[in-house]
Amino acid sequence: MGSKISTDLIRGHTDTIILNVLRQGDSYGYQIYKTIIELSNNQYELKEATLYTAFRRLEKEGYIVSYWGDETQGGRRKYYRIAEEGLERYQQNKKEWKFAKNVLNKLIEGGIDTDEK
Amino acid sequence: MRNNKNLDQKVKAYVDNLFAGVGQSQQLFELKEELTTNLKEKINDYKRTGMGEDEAFKAAVSSMGDLSGLVDDMREIGQDKAKQSVYSTMTARISTAGLIVGILLILFGALTTSMLYFMSLPMEAVTGPAIFIVIGGAVITYSLLTRETSKKYAMNKIRAALYALASGLILFSLFVAFTSGFATEEVYVAISSMMVFLIAGIGLLLGLLFTTRDRRK
Repeated sequence: MGSKISTDLIRGHTDTIILNVLRQGDSYGYQIYKTIIELSNNQYELKEATLYTAFRRLEKEGYIVSYWGDETQGGRRKYYRIAEEGLERYQQNKKEWKFAKNVLNKLIEGGIDTDEK
Repeated sequence: MRNNKNLDQKVKAYVDNLFAGVGQSQQLFELKEELTTNLKEKINDYKRTGMGEDEAFKAAVSSMGDLSGLVDDMREIGQDKAKQSVYSTMTARISTAGLIVGILLILFGALTTSMLYFMSLPMEAVTGPAIFIVIGGAVITYSLLTRETSKKYAMNKIRAALYALASGLILFSLFVAFTSGFATEEVYVAISSMMVFLIAGIGLLLGLLFTTRDRRK
């Protein structure tokens, strides 16, 4: 996986990442896990343990809803669907991220003007 | 297909073991099924890349990450549920008995009072048995509140007892008012003796109502 993103850096964005996957269609645990790896071009793996914890939290907060699939072979799958509130949350998080990204970039890469009098 | 059955059992054993000793709950049941299905799919994916079954199983399990948070979550839910079911079956019986006793007490009080009334006894003697209505009312209050219904959880015992005390005090104040009123034939005596109990009862009731916690499920 080459260089890795530190978990500290990504922790606050777990929910947004999941909401981003679900806003593009209903999905279940393992598929969401694979989609996230794919979205990152194999540069990031969100652990399943983190995923399931996040599902429970997001569902409790009303951002996603779950339902059981009707597979008969190999056990039922639990699917998740984004709720209206989840979609709003996602848009809000995206806006905040864009703003933060900008500011952080300035803070981390910006040089200080020394020729000020 | 023998292999597949083996794998199914292995995954099931792993998931069961993960949550060993955790109290049963609907959530746990569903989480286990969710984990099992997804884990099996992952193992099959790994096998498709050329891994042997054992290797695939180990790789899939170890790449899950730290599941202890989920286990703790489930343990908490399981404990709550266990407590609730023990609590409700125990109190449900007490509550049912309380309701019956309360209703009978009220009936007894009301019937004796009316009987004495029609015996044309002096009014101050008539109101005496109404004390049973007071006791019955308090018992019913307690029993109703500690009853778990499909929509509401049972109220905490101490809180329910306080509610019962409040309703008892209010009923008792009425009882005192009538008894002393008829005995002295003075309305001011009725009001003054009623006041203490009524104010105490209403004060307690208001205090309880303002600190109400949501019992809805």
